[in-house]
Amino acid sequence: MNVILCGVGGNGVVLTTRIIAEAALREGTKVRVGEVHGLAMRGGTVVSHLRLGPDAKGVLVPQRKADILLAFEPLEALRQMKFLKQGAKVILNNEPFVGVDAHLGLSRYPEVCDIISQIEKVQDLVDVPATQLALEAGGVVMTNVVMLGTLSASKELPISRESLIEAIRSRVPPMMVDANLKAFQLGEKAFKEWEAKKTCPPS
Amino acid sequence: MKKKSKILGAAGEKVLLTGNEAVARGCLEAGMAVGTAYPGTPASTIMEKLGEVANELGFWAEFSVNEAVAFEVAAGAALAGVRSLMSTKMLGVNLIADALTVISVTGVRGGLVIVTADDPQQFSSQNAEDTRFFGMLAKVPVLEPGDGQEAKDMTRYAFDLSEELELPVFVRITPRICHSSFDVELGEIRKPKRDGKFVKDPKRFVMISTYSRPRQAILNEKIERVKGIFNTNRWNNIVDFQNGEIHPPGKVFNTFGVIASGLTYPYVEEVLEATGISARVMKLATTYPLPEDFISDFMRDLDQVLIVEENDGVTELQTRALAQRRRLNVRIMGKDDGLIPRSGELNPDLVGDAFEKLFGKKFRDDLTEPYLEAEDMVSKRVPSLCAGCPHRASYYAIKEALKKKGLGGTVMGDRGCYNQGAYEPLEGIDTCICMGASIAMASGLAHSGTDEPVLSVIGDGTFYHAGIPSLLNAVHNRANIVSLIFDNSITAMTGHQVNPGSGVNLMGQHTGYANLRKIVEACGVENVRVINAFDIRKLVDAVMEEMDNEGPSVIISRAPCALVVERNMRRRKLKTPVAVVDLDKCVGCKVCMKKIGCPAFSWSNDPKPHLVIDAHCNGCGLCVETCPFGAISVPGKPDSSLGITVRKEVEE
Repeated sequence: MNVILCGVGGNGVVLTTRIIAEAALREGTKVRVGEVHGLAMRGGTVVSHLRLGPDAKGVLVPQRKADILLAFEPLEALRQMKFLKQGAKVILNNEPFVGVDAHLGLSRYPEVCDIISQIEKVQDLVDVPATQLALEAGGVVMTNVVMLGTLSASKELPISRESLIEAIRSRVPPMMVDANLKAFQLGEKAFKEWEAKKTCPPS
Repeated sequence: MKKKSKILGAAGEKVLLTGNEAVARGCLEAGMAVGTAYPGTPASTIMEKLGEVANELGFWAEFSVNEAVAFEVAAGAALAGVRSLMSTKMLGVNLIADALTVISVTGVRGGLVIVTADDPQQFSSQNAEDTRFFGMLAKVPVLEPGDGQEAKDMTRYAFDLSEELELPVFVRITPRICHSSFDVELGEIRKPKRDGKFVKDPKRFVMISTYSRPRQAILNEKIERVKGIFNTNRWNNIVDFQNGEIHPPGKVFNTFGVIASGLTYPYVEEVLEATGISARVMKLATTYPLPEDFISDFMRDLDQVLIVEENDGVTELQTRALAQRRRLNVRIMGKDDGLIPRSGELNPDLVGDAFEKLFGKKFRDDLTEPYLEAEDMVSKRVPSLCAGCPHRASYYAIKEALKKKGLGGTVMGDRGCYNQGAYEPLEGIDTCICMGASIAMASGLAHSGTDEPVLSVIGDGTFYHAGIPSLLNAVHNRANIVSLIFDNSITAMTGHQVNPGSGVNLMGQHTGYANLRKIVEACGVENVRVINAFDIRKLVDAVMEEMDNEGPSVIISRAPCALVVERNMRRRKLKTPVAVVDLDKCVGCKVCMKKIGCPAFSWSNDPKPHLVIDAHCNGCGLCVETCPFGAISVPGKPDSSLGITVRKEVEE
């Protein structure tokens, strides 16, 4: 299985990738992680390639061979679309980060709804207000854990909920464990709500 | 409670390690006694990780002032018989060449390993040079691990090999090893043997020409011996692929061969498994010198060989020479014919493209219409200095000063965080070449007869690294330049490593620290000023005045790295001040954005177009200076103390 994680510097892409990788390793699954985070301290593009099981050969996922995209930012999701299979699962935090370069006209930031509809042309997209839910759980820093909750609830990943939670526990300070668990649950709940909406469209 | 370092796991344990962590663990398993480095992405974390455990395990780890020094420190220890490591990015190898090409002649006593990170994709480098040429130049063997396990095991082996040959050994990695994570099975940690004793042997270690000449022959013999050792190296392997399946050699017969070195092997494996193309594949881990018998035996029954390697065609070059020498009738393909791309890093798709050209079988899943539309919709984010970065203030001041002076002007840049100031809208530097080049190149420009002001910009870490000789030269040769030293008292670019200005070293010892002002004065510079980087008006005036002064002058523009300030305030549970926008005064002109482009800036049209300053702001106050309407202020921060200083040396 191939998973792409992406966002901008400060989103916690690298940490989230390691959490999943450690959870996989805990279950005895072969793991490879490729990361790019040069100069991404703040607001720069960050992407990691996570390969599990028999796909874990080289560290890079080839074009259009990823099964899942966990995207912390809409434009970054669009940027990584080239790595996704047709029908791949995309879990997207719908909070955009529009850099000052875009405000200055040095780069262009499309409307978030246009980004979503472009991705939905070929992929199965779950759109989560992860930043908002993280605030609800106690802080923006837990956005990544909300996303992990959503990913876990989607059952796309061959890793158990317990292993993911165990890996989160080992990575966060003890005083923050409860808040992180809450964030995880809010993420799971968001997936269930999305699923319900999908199966019974509003009349 | 301090978390236990990941590189200290028990033998037999399988853990997730980055390539850099794996290299560091390899050093521990080799019983390394001395480790040195100058930070350089992507290799910096090797020495950071070693530094974390050095006191506990009893070895010496240091960030040296530059790579040349780092290598010489490691070499000094190796001559005393202990195992030493020097880790660097490939550009640092340019600096060590002077010593390396002689240390290979003297040879070493304890194992001396140089881990070098090449950067074919140039994620964080000015060029894409291939370290293996330095292996050839200095006659130093090169090992290329292909994953985390090999990065660990081959680093450990490199020490053994170095001791066996009494010759330094390179371990060559790339960002895809350094920053990738792998499941790695740990071996036994060996207690560092730190019992150095230098045994005098002038004919071997005093390389005056009379003593050096006979040793050249010894070096040449050594490198011949390595070829033999590499013929049976356990990481050089051959397998056959047929219909997507792997077979041991001899079971099936292929006349098409592939030599894949380092981490390109899994790319080849993936392509062959997916396409079912048949090939005999050599995974090559020793790329200089080549295991000549092993490779010619491999090629003897082949019609064609494709060589897959990162950076330049170094294996290809040597293989061609070998085939000619051994009269092998085999077509060798790779970078020379462009089948494998010459620039940029490889990936499975690019390797797949080469096979498609040869066999017509496609590996790559092409991008269809919706994917291509998506590609059109995305544009690159423009990198920027961090919010609150003092370099932004310094660049702003230089720009304002040059504008006021109205004579044009050139700013020769250097290497460091401040390179982010090259992008729009700051565009603060006109060159970026290498560590320490700014002052010397500015001197050259000044002597060229230009009638425009000549300035240079260098960071404190880079100044210690390679700027001091250039400044001495500027004084000695009366270069009419204004040099700014952006002093944030840390090596920020590569992740806040200590430097001679920090007052503390990697072992955690409190040390004397370099006094920048005194160094500059001692170089003979008469006009030296130290100014708070955020004291914009004073900085602008200083730059203008120094442009009028003859000879070299230096302005030390000082304020701590914004990320360090934030971290320190967080630790003390203090809140950083945040700038606020007065909506009544903000007219939405975007002058602030156009002048300084701070990443904490955002925009809103509700209820009218206006600047928004987000939580990334840490109240540096630079934007207050830029607003023509006085719409920005930093509450709780008096005008006179914009910026926070590391030490209380900032003076009038």
